[in-house]
Amino acid sequence: MTTLVEREKFGEVVILHIRTNSIDAVSAASIEASCNEMQPITVLNFREVAFINSAGISVLLKFVVKARKAGYKLFAMNLSPHHQKIFKMVEMSRFMPTIEERDLAAYR
Amino acid sequence: MGMERIEVHIPSDLTFERVVRASTDEIGKVLEIPTDRLEDLKLAVSEAVCNAIEHGNQQMADKLVMVVFTVDTEKLEVHVIDQGTGVDIERLDFSEQHVEDAHIEGEGRRGFGMFLISALVDQYEVKSSEEGTTLTLRLYRKEIEP
Repeated sequence: MTTLVEREKFGEVVILHIRTNSIDAVSAASIEASCNEMQPITVLNFREVAFINSAGISVLLKFVVKARKAGYKLFAMNLSPHHQKIFKMVEMSRFMPTIEERDLAAYR
Repeated sequence: MGMERIEVHIPSDLTFERVVRASTDEIGKVLEIPTDRLEDLKLAVSEAVCNAIEHGNQQMADKLVMVVFTVDTEKLEVHVIDQGTGVDIERLDFSEQHVEDAHIEGEGRRGFGMFLISALVDQYEVKSSEEGTTLTLRLYRKEIEP
């Protein structure tokens, strides 16, 4: 299975850079596998992501579940305005608030 | 403009949903649908096609999903047609769905597709018989003209 997520770790922070433009049923399994890379502060970087459908939302919920169970903090970074709207519609943003790249500087 | 009807037929494999999505993108650009409305339409079409593949055709390789784009002066319609055995329309749930504790405790139940369809297009309608189901998505052009 092709790895579609690149891991960048510093301290208790991990940024999971999603290297596909589509989070859907096709990419779901590869993205879900990176749940194992989560750290106490986990940031999903959506910079390259142009499309997320409900299968994609379902995969992202796996990260929410794991964060909730482990007591981790989970954030979304570089989410497009369209996806910010969708996250708000389904209230994903309650469980995965957005964070700015500059906010991570203190952890580096 | 000569574009009035375009058909895309795909096998019942979720990989090919991306083909329909790309087609929607190209057609939307030709029609000069504003970017945010086009993103909404692509997501709604994606959900409809995934439903047709998974629930309509049960991912059976010998069954196709037909997607028909029709354009007139008033509107763009996208008809997503499966070759399944039909659904009970009364049981389709297009109601608003949010991520809730129940989703989290249930480990990622997928249930946002119908809500997204209902929220992202101007109109939608479902027709179903034992020969298949057609989900029609409608975008009015007065809304989509820049």
